[in-house]
Amino acid sequence: MGIANIFNTGYSGLTASRAGMATSGHNISNAGTEGFSRQRIVTEALVPDNSGKSANAVGRGVRVARVERLNDEYLEKQIRNGQREMSHHEEKEMGLRQVEDIFNEMNGDDINHQVTKFFNDFRQLSNEPESRAVREALRESTHAMSSNFRSIRKQLEEVRTHFDSRVESYVGEANLLAGQVAELNKRIRLSDLAGGTPNDLMDKRDMALKKLASLMDIATQKDNHGNISVDIRGAGSLLTEDIVRPLSIERTPADDQGKSDGSLSIRAEGNVTASITHQIRGGKLGALIEVRDKTITGLVDRLDEMAFTLINSVNDIHSQGVTTDGNSGINFFKPVENKEKAAEYLALSDDVLADVNNIVTADLADAPGDNRVALAISKLQNEKMMGDGHSTMEEWYNSIVSDVGVASSKNKFAMNQQKDIMTQLEKMRDQISGVSVDEETANLMQFQHAFEASAKVVQVADEMLKTILSIKRD
Amino acid sequence: MRITDNANYDSVKGAISRSKEKMGNLQFQSTTLKKLNTPSDNPVGASKVLELRTDKMNNDQYQMNSKMAETFLNNTESAVADLAEIIARAKEIAIAQSSTSTSSESTRVAVSEEINQLYKQAIGAANRKVGERYLLGGYKTQKAPVDEQGNYHGDDGQMMVEVAKDVFLTMNIPGIEAFNTQPKVAYAKQNGYGNARNNDPVDQEEILENVNIFDELQNFRIGLLTGNMEAIHSTLERFDLLHSRLVTTQAKLGSRIQGLSATSQSIDRQNITNASLTSELEDADMAQVVSDMGKEEGIYKSSLASSRRLIQPTLLDFLK
Repeated sequence: MGIANIFNTGYSGLTASRAGMATSGHNISNAGTEGFSRQRIVTEALVPDNSGKSANAVGRGVRVARVERLNDEYLEKQIRNGQREMSHHEEKEMGLRQVEDIFNEMNGDDINHQVTKFFNDFRQLSNEPESRAVREALRESTHAMSSNFRSIRKQLEEVRTHFDSRVESYVGEANLLAGQVAELNKRIRLSDLAGGTPNDLMDKRDMALKKLASLMDIATQKDNHGNISVDIRGAGSLLTEDIVRPLSIERTPADDQGKSDGSLSIRAEGNVTASITHQIRGGKLGALIEVRDKTITGLVDRLDEMAFTLINSVNDIHSQGVTTDGNSGINFFKPVENKEKAAEYLALSDDVLADVNNIVTADLADAPGDNRVALAISKLQNEKMMGDGHSTMEEWYNSIVSDVGVASSKNKFAMNQQKDIMTQLEKMRDQISGVSVDEETANLMQFQHAFEASAKVVQVADEMLKTILSIKRD
Repeated sequence: MRITDNANYDSVKGAISRSKEKMGNLQFQSTTLKKLNTPSDNPVGASKVLELRTDKMNNDQYQMNSKMAETFLNNTESAVADLAEIIARAKEIAIAQSSTSTSSESTRVAVSEEINQLYKQAIGAANRKVGERYLLGGYKTQKAPVDEQGNYHGDDGQMMVEVAKDVFLTMNIPGIEAFNTQPKVAYAKQNGYGNARNNDPVDQEEILENVNIFDELQNFRIGLLTGNMEAIHSTLERFDLLHSRLVTTQAKLGSRIQGLSATSQSIDRQNITNASLTSELEDADMAQVVSDMGKEEGIYKSSLASSRRLIQPTLLDFLK
């Protein structure tokens, strides 16, 4: 073994230490980078050239075999799933809070209150059927109640529209992320072929997948070349290797799964015939679609049904009576054809709007004290007219409010639970992949010392060479 | 176990935001004094509170109805009482004038004038109003039930009001029932056929002689003026019938008023129970809130203090 080799051995140590320090530096710089996995160099000894021939062969130093990424693929997958659940609950929470705000009855001046007032105004009218003032009060309060029905329905529609704009932006984001994953697939494959270790690219891909998973339920598949393909669970492929099948949106008519007319549906390329709107579950998109098409549609339907029943039951009684002027067949509310949008069309009839004397209280003509019609309408308050005769008008409405509350509180509970699970998972990921500055500092010192020692080896080799060269002179 | 810097920061951030969220909730409770601020705070409780609020509004209306019915009944009762007094006075006169020892043509002419006055008073009492409504006209509350000839122009309408949930009370007595001893017969006569409301012909056996206040006072007056002792004598019995009819009516009214106040008291009691239940469901227990806030503040401070120690030092601090 020649002295020149000792130079090389020392030099290999210097290189390895420098690589170690650079890696620690990289780790420290990325201590705050989201999704970063710490890296470390893996070194191996360089075996003697003539190993096997000589009994006392000496090794040739060290080599950096590869830079490795500390990362647990299965944990990443779990985190992806956890993130999907978490984002789902968060998005739902946001949506349900908007809905709950619309139905916030707890401060006391809303539909429940107004419906009760409506019936009590009729009760008051049954007390003094002759009074014009009571009639006018009744007309005013009915007007307020009707416009509240309309406004609540409108607000629900507005939340729907708002949800649609979010659906639109999330679909855009999903396409962007799918594109990123496809691009990264390509670069990782190339880098792999060139013998590189694309650690940072893989981190980036994991991040993109995590974001994609937060949007919807996806299934990932890794092939032998390191490509990750993504399927939307239940709706076919989103990307294979580096080919993306982007999602698109369009406004379509109502369907039988609760989607309202004109709201957005989602289509996948290559799946032109059917929309995949209701196949998308989980994640933010799943949450939006669920609240938009199940929760809100259900609420709007129930509100419409309530308005429809109110209009018909009151009109039925009202039109049978006789006004003070002897007219009969007069409606109290503007009649509606069917249940659909009844809450939007709830309004006083033109006759009642024109003259309060068209509010009917009597069964008999020329009997100003006859209060039987007013009394009969006030009795509707306690009649179980809703839900196939199971609940009164107010019970029906209260159940809407409490259902909104239940959905929201159930979701909040699940969200908090998921938050704890995510904290645990993140902690586990951090244990494996997270950067500890203290640890990296210690590593830096270790490599620094190794560097110094390797330098010393070079120095000693130099001196040895000098000694040998000086022999000749003597 | 490897604890990294990010894990440290995350747990500090987590602890602080948890504490702050709890304090925020408590703070909100203490500003609204309510623990039920959105339906999701307690969905079942929320719907119960709405139910109780509806009950309260209904009860307020029932109380209002009771008060109005009570006013109406009280006034009706006093009108009927006045009529009863008028008939009693007329009977006194009839007793005095039916005996030849106390009755002479001159006294008869003199008291006939008093009877005329009584007649006018009776019409006045029958046409009494509360506000703009005639008490004794049935549904026809907007015109006088009885004209100067003593003809009835009202109907037999019963004005029902709801004074408690599903408790209905008739707040009026149609005049025809108070003025006649046989209202059905009177009604049939008024309409020229059987009962106007049901159109059922008056049962033949029930056709008894009907006595009417105003007719009887007029009969008596004419008897007095013509000196028909027979007629004067026969009015005595009829005044008795009328008087007992009026007193019975008065008693009926009295018992309705009694019933009203009992109902109204039970509504008051229900309101009190409901109010305490509502409060239990939606009001925050301030003592609890304040003590929870103190506890949470302590947790917050200690997590801040421990964070300071956790975040500051790194290995680098000791390598100088």
